[in-house]
Order: sequence, then structure tokens, then C-alpha cells
Amino acid sequence: MILDVWLYGELRKFSDTPNKIGYGQMLLDVPEGYRMRDLLERLNMPTAARGITFVNGNLSALPGFQPDLEHVFADNDRVAMFDLRSMWPFQYRNGAAMTDSMRQAVQEHPEQLMHHEHSEEEE
Amino acid sequence: MWILRIDMKELSYKLEDVPERYRLLYGRALTSQMIFDEVPPLCHALGPNNKLVFSAGIVTSTSAPTSARVSVGCKSPLTGGIKEANAGTSWAPDLASMRIRALVIEGFPEQGEKYWGTFISWDKDAGKPKVEFFDATGYTGQDVYDTFPKIYERFEGRISICSVGNAGEKSYGNSGIVFNDQAKRPSRYAGRGGVGAVLASKRLKFIILNEKGSPGVDIVDKPLFDEGRKKMIDAIRSHAISKPKGGLNSYGTAVLVNILNEAGGLPTRNFSSGRFEGAAKTAGEAIFETNKERMGKEIYNHACSPGCIIQCSNTYYNTDKTERTSCIEYESTWSLGANLGIDDLDDIATMVQLCNAYGLDTIETGGTLGVAMEAGVIPFGDSKGAINLIHEMGKGTPLGRILGSGTETTGKAFGVRRVPTVKGQSMPAYEPRAVKGIGITYATTTMGADHTAGYTIAPEILGVSGKSDPLSPEGKAELSRAFQATTAFIDSSGHCLFIAFPILDIASGFEGFIQECNGVLGTNWTAADIVAYGANVLKVERAFNEAAGIKAEADRLPEFMRLEPLPPHNQVFDVPDSALDAVFKEM
Ligand code: SF4
Repeated sequence: MILDVWLYGELRKFSDTPNKIGYGQMLLDVPEGYRMRDLLERLNMPTAARGITFVNGNLSALPGFQPDLEHVFADNDRVAMFDLRSMWPFQYRNGAAMTDSMRQAVQEHPEQLMHHEHSEEEE
Repeated sequence: MWILRIDMKELSYKLEDVPERYRLLYGRALTSQMIFDEVPPLCHALGPNNKLVFSAGIVTSTSAPTSARVSVGCKSPLTGGIKEANAGTSWAPDLASMRIRALVIEGFPEQGEKYWGTFISWDKDAGKPKVEFFDATGYTGQDVYDTFPKIYERFEGRISICSVGNAGEKSYGNSGIVFNDQAKRPSRYAGRGGVGAVLASKRLKFIILNEKGSPGVDIVDKPLFDEGRKKMIDAIRSHAISKPKGGLNSYGTAVLVNILNEAGGLPTRNFSSGRFEGAAKTAGEAIFETNKERMGKEIYNHACSPGCIIQCSNTYYNTDKTERTSCIEYESTWSLGANLGIDDLDDIATMVQLCNAYGLDTIETGGTLGVAMEAGVIPFGDSKGAINLIHEMGKGTPLGRILGSGTETTGKAFGVRRVPTVKGQSMPAYEPRAVKGIGITYATTTMGADHTAGYTIAPEILGVSGKSDPLSPEGKAELSRAFQATTAFIDSSGHCLFIAFPILDIASGFEGFIQECNGVLGTNWTAADIVAYGANVLKVERAFNEAAGIKAEADRLPEFMRLEPLPPHNQVFDVPDSALDAVFKEM
């Protein structure tokens, strides 16, 4: 099956068009059952390098908050990852679509919903 | 501290003491209160009874970081309601340093064709500001990038300039008031709601400040202020979004283009889709990397005003290393990009520059052009055609005048049904069908659709968390109220709204923010007090709007958002009216 992968800003260095302005995009042929974890491994990208992440327009991870590692992709999924300089203030994402695992994680940790992770790794 | 009143009918001025009831009011709190107290709500916005009030914030002109903001208030010719627009510029601390708490422009001259300038400076002998008038008719009808250098040449010493462009002179509902940035560019706009037309209706072309010799503002409790200031600086410098070479300093606000596009919430081709195939070419990352390629090095953003340590303002360069424009904000690259189906960054930069040169608000301009494209005036994606239409607006051709009246008027003129406005003001760059929370704020703010009306401040600090589920419509309504109130306070403090990012996540930053204000004023405010202060601002604004005929029924989004599902999520705006009404019912 095919994944449409978009890597923005600095993350384009993990794509096969690292010199493109602003982003890298590639279509990857992957086996059934492929997970976010497998994709990161194939891209050679440490999961901590990515911040905001989407699957088909549904928010699946925030900086330092990544309940999506076991997410299983379907054919033609669009996956987008942003570097840690990117941001999405809460007022501009309050009510936006989330993946099921994100929705569940947010219900368990509602404080994560509003805040931008302020961790030492980002310093 | 004074209220300085300039009477444009008599070409005279007077200084009044600040009355006791205004003692703690600054920035938006003061402009809105004075408009409520002095402007008849049913007056014509461009008539003799409307007034313009300028006021800097509580900590403006102190050493508090990122705090050189000035609020401009009036009755809006675009919405018919109250308006506060603000800008970051050296003009703000210069006004405050001369101890002018509010500058009020009232009346207009009998001889309508003549324009005036005012020069306000500090009279050392008298120990107060003085105002001189000069004939500015010769500066009208020109690009503000041409008039600013002439003014810098004419007046000696370090001056700050407030002015209005062609759009204001032509009485457009789409016209801003322009202030200088740190490089003397006429690029910092109090952009929204037609405030430029109100200034021009007074036949006032320039308000020039030279604060040399002025005493600056008093700080009642200096140690407390210093403690707060330090905490704020630490918070700003350590947060990923606001720190040096962080999100805003690298990519500017346009960092949001790709995010909203991936989320399916980037309004595209006049709000007919939430995703634009060319978005990545118009985003902050692309601006940063195009500059890097053209200039041969990484270019980080600059401060729009003195004392800003976030520094989010970009400059976009040509291939020959000359400057094309400053600054391309998220809202501008969206309104003139995705919203028009345009992905050519050079042309978008040209359009931003033209809007600045003519005195147009980029959001209202893009909104209007989107509706014009929908009507078939030019096709979507036609960037050269869009550039021409902006020239028509600036030059005041008959078509240009229709477009200059704003998105809603253009929609009526061309019989377009999909018109993205609330209370007559064009909607910014977040699709309410994809991001429902912002839809609640767009619908209910006193200003007409406005993305700066509800910045997030930690609800646990404000004492509003835990009462209802933030994902439910009721929870969102409750949050929107708290956010709008706190935002009204930040707009009164003089800080740029972008301090909201670090103080949301870093508790000591929030503490420092309140300490700075308490230090200047000698108050003992707590978090609850500043929410109450902000809520009071909203109450005053809503009371003005109601008396102007804009009642709770106007707190709605346009109907098409309830009828047309938006791709790619194929959602309509389904927040019930009862939730919209709940936002301010309890206030
Ligand atoms: S953060 Fe940006 S908009 Fe705000 S004061 Fe600084 S440069 Fe200006």
C-alpha cells in the first residue's frame, strides 16, 4: 500500500528531496499493518525530532506527546510531520480533528491538550 | 498623565488631567471606555461625532519586554460597532513617555479638501507636551513608502510617525492606520475595521511624535516591576515558540500555513476547501529557506518595535538581494495566497507590499479578492490579475472603490452567497468548520471576525478549568469567554499578544506578567482580577455595540458554513446557537 509522506521544515532532511524549499514529500510503498513506529525507522528519524504530526488531517502527536507510535496506517494515508520550531496555538486548534489514539490520550491527560510541551530536549 | 484632545474643527488642542475613573485604564480598556463614554453609538463612523482614541498599554515605555503596543479605538465604518486595532511601533512608547495616556482626535475642518499634520513634542519649559499643526495636503494621494522618507527628512531628531494611506483618504471600510517600524518602514498597521478612513475623515494625515526630553512613565514599585520583568524575559527566552531562533523568530507567524493546511483548516479559494495544494510554497518555512538561498545565509526575523525580544517580523528578499517586502504575516500569505488559489510567493510579497503602500488591510483585501474571484471578476489563481485589482483599489477606480468597501459589500455588489464575514468584517485564516473553537470566538467577539480576540491563557490559572469538558460545545463557550477576557487585558497591558505563548506554559512567566503591571500601577491584582478587568472591557464594548444596533443575534457565522461541508473533513459548523449565546450570557 502507498503512504503519502510530507516532512516540513528541517525534517525534509529525512526525505529523498532534502534540498527542496520548505518541505519534502514522497510516496512510499509499505506493507499492510505498517505503523508510525515503522515509518520513523524507515525514515531514520528519531521520534523526538518531530513535533506536530497528522494522519489524514487528524492530529496524532504534539511536541513531546506522541500517543501515535502504534498507529496502523491504511492505504493512501497522508502523513505529515513538523519540526520542533513549528507551533499550533491551542485557540487555533481547539475543536480540530484528532486521531482516535490522540483523542483517547487527551481524555486521559487533558492538561496536554492546551499546552505546548516545554521540555529540556527542546532547549 | 494627560488626555490630549486635538480638535480638527478648530485646529486647536487641550490637555486634561486623567479623571479618577480612568486611573487604571490603558490601551484597549481606555480606548473602548472613552468611545463608549463619548461617541454616540448611532453616529456615522465618518461623521463629525465619531472620535479616534489612541492609548499605549500599562507597561509600554518601561523596560518590560515586547510591550511597545498602541491601541486605536473608534466606531468602525466597516462593522458599525466598536473597534480596537493595535500595532507594535516606537510611536507607542513615545506617546506614553510624554505622559499622554490618551490622544483623542475629534471634529473635522470645514474646508474638506485640506489635510493637516500634527507634530507633538515635549515642551521642556512648560513641562508638558505641545502640538503644532502643518499643512499636509501636498502629501496626499501618494504611496506611504514615498511620504515617510519626506517626513523623516522634514523633522529633525528621532521621530515616530502615524499616518494613513490612499485607502483611508478614499474612505474605504478596508483601510488601516500605519506606524513606522524600527527601520523607518511604514509597515506596522493597526489594520482592521477601517480605522484609516476615520483618521482621514478628520483630515489628519500625520501624527508625528518627538519625545526628546520627556520624563517617561512612573513605576510605583520598582523592585516588584523588576522581578516581574525578569520572569517574563526568562519565560520568553526559554519557550520553544518565543525564544531566539525559535518558532516565531525563524519562521514568523507564517509557520502556521502548513499546519493549518495539514489540519484541513486552511481556507482555500474563498472558503470552499480546507486544503490548498500549493500551501507549502507560501509558508514560513518557504520564506525562511527562500531567503537563505537568495541571501546565502540564514536570516532570522526582527523586532517590529523597541524592546521586543521575540522578534517575529520577517523581511522577504528578491534574487538580487534587495528587499521585496516586510513583513509577510501568516494572515497575509494566506489571504493573498491559499484564499485566492495563489502559490507564487514573490507575487504574494508584492501584494503585501502594495497593501502597505496603499494603506489596505491584508486580511480584508484577500477576503474581498476571494469573493471577487468567486464572482468571476478574475479567475482563482490569477496572481497578476489580483495585483491589478489591488492597484485599482489604491487608485480608486469605480471597481476599486467597490472592492475597497470590503468583503461584505463586494459580496452584495456581485451577488455572491459565500461571503466569509462576521459583523461585516472579513474572516481570518482559520476555518471554523475544521477548528470549531475559533468559530465560537469569531462569532461572538465584539470586533467582527477576529483571530486575535481569544488567545489561550492557562484555564487552570484563570480558575475555569475542570468545570466542563473543553471538547464539548459548552466547554468551548466557557473557554472562549475566559480567553476573550484575558486577551482584552493583554491588549490593555501594552504587551504583544505573542507573550501569551510563554506565559501559558511557564507559570512564573504569567506571575511576572502580573507583577510588571502591579509594579507600574501599585495595584495588588491577582489572576482573577485581570480576568475581571478584561471582562469589563468586553462588557463596555458589547454595550456600545448593542446601542449601535449590533445585538446578540449578530453573534453568528455566515449561513454557508452550516450548509456546505468543507473538504477534506467534510464537516459543517455545527456548534449550536445556544452555545454561542452562552459565551456572554453569564457575563
Ligand atoms: S512578537 Fe512580533 S509582532 Fe509582537 S512585538 Fe515582537 S516583532 Fe512585533
